Amino acid sequence: MISFQHVSKRYPGGVQALSDVSFELGAGEMTFLTGRSGAGKSTLLKLIALLERPSRGQVVFDGRNVGKVSRRQIPYLRRRIGVIFQDHRLLTDKRVFDNVALPLMIAGVSFGEIQRRVRAALDKVGLADKEKMYPPMLSGGEQQRVGIARAIIGRPPVLLADEPTGNLDPGLSAELMETFLQLNRAGVTVLIASHDLALIKRLGQRVLVLDNGQIIDDLPRRERGVETEPDG
Amino acid sequence: MVKAKQSMRQAGATGLRAWMRRHAFSLLSSLGSLARYPLAALMTVAVVAFAIAMPLALQLALDNIERLSKQWERLDTLSVFVDSRLERPAIDRLASRLSTWNGVLAVDPISPDQGLQELSAQLGLESAEDVLENNPLPWVLEVTLDGVGDRSGLIDRLQSQSEVSNVLADIQWLERLDAMTELLGQLTLLLAGLLAAGVAVVIGNTIRLDVQNRREEIEVLALVGATAAFIRRPFLYSGLWYGLLGGLMAWALLSAGLMVLQDPVARLGQTYTESLRLLGPSPLVIVMAVGGSALFGLLGAWLAVSQHLRRIDP
Repeated sequence: MISFQHVSKRYPGGVQALSDVSFELGAGEMTFLTGRSGAGKSTLLKLIALLERPSRGQVVFDGRNVGKVSRRQIPYLRRRIGVIFQDHRLLTDKRVFDNVALPLMIAGVSFGEIQRRVRAALDKVGLADKEKMYPPMLSGGEQQRVGIARAIIGRPPVLLADEPTGNLDPGLSAELMETFLQLNRAGVTVLIASHDLALIKRLGQRVLVLDNGQIIDDLPRRERGVETEPDG
Repeated sequence: MVKAKQSMRQAGATGLRAWMRRHAFSLLSSLGSLARYPLAALMTVAVVAFAIAMPLALQLALDNIERLSKQWERLDTLSVFVDSRLERPAIDRLASRLSTWNGVLAVDPISPDQGLQELSAQLGLESAEDVLENNPLPWVLEVTLDGVGDRSGLIDRLQSQSEVSNVLADIQWLERLDAMTELLGQLTLLLAGLLAAGVAVVIGNTIRLDVQNRREEIEVLALVGATAAFIRRPFLYSGLWYGLLGGLMAWALLSAGLMVLQDPVARLGQTYTESLRLLGPSPLVIVMAVGGSALFGLLGAWLAVSQHLRRIDP
């Protein structure tokens, strides 16, 4: 689904965010991306969503070289990737409903369908009763979940999340991760950047470890239950 | 390319209905942004309205003056002074010949005696004949024109007749008025051009501020896959609204002005024992002014948005 081939990213001003990064992400896979802040996690996600272009190497998304996508085609590519931001990026002067509905309005979906799907998405993230509220009236965790509802409403095959549990307490974090697992079980490819090592370890999914712009470790997924099996 | 089209279809982005829905969304969004700051929107509309109303009012005034001067020209006569050596039978022959000319409605000969009587009456003398030993006045033919044909050509032709010593056209001031209105007409066009550019700039500037205020929204829209056209569209609609509303307001201002002026103009006409009436702008002019205003609003918005979206580059 997603493939990085010798990707480097150098920002103007000389900051080397990524150097020679290569990995593959299969369709329907759930992967964590971890590493210290500044290791290049956000840059890596931005390269997939075409918020940045690689300086060197190729990013292939669904068989297409992302670096060769024309400006006109970028929006259509972005519609196939749901992105969840650490700072939510919600529109504070628009109701929760309208925030979540945004991707569908852009695509020109009928209002009846928008209503149905927004309700379903809000229901999925447990905010069914908050659709008329404005984002500032919600808690950080709730806002994060509005962001998730917006990211999944277009039914994208890929979901990217940048520190989705960054500001949440452990209980909420676990709940949120359960939502991601559910989506993954429904066939969505999920890539989550997080430095919450305890949480990542508990979930036992594949983990890519970034350090100083390079992938230093690629821990494969553990089968569920392996951990609790007695030795011998 | 094929893949891109497929993905577009998956996102429900094709089809006339989806296109209409997106436009409806942009339309509502643009109206919403106007309604959000009603006072600011009203101020922009008012500036546009003044800019449109000014040349429109000038053009209207010139139109009315022109119409009036046409009316006066139709009433005008030429005084043709005949060579003083000519006497009665020759005068009548000349008069009947001139009356057959194109553009001539009637020819009235005025004898020197008649002329002297008129003159003395005008000067308030008992009798000019008492003062003057012999009448110095020549025969005069009063030529009434039909007001349609070429006036100055006719005057030249009269002048060139061997029997004619002089042609007096005391409506030179009307010609000057004509020339002046023509000049002012040209100036109005120039002014209209300048003010149309002004409309585009004013609306462009308003849209530019709107783009800046909604920078966050624009970025988020781009993040969730809005095309540049989709992001631009509400702003273009806003520009169109500003122009359209400004044009309509200009029309309203003009109509109000006409109503206020109708009575004073009628009173002015009465002093000349003429019925004066101000005519409003023709439907074509109204459509052109309002439509042009909307168009320049759109143009201004387009310029501002393209510039600024490129700078924001989401």
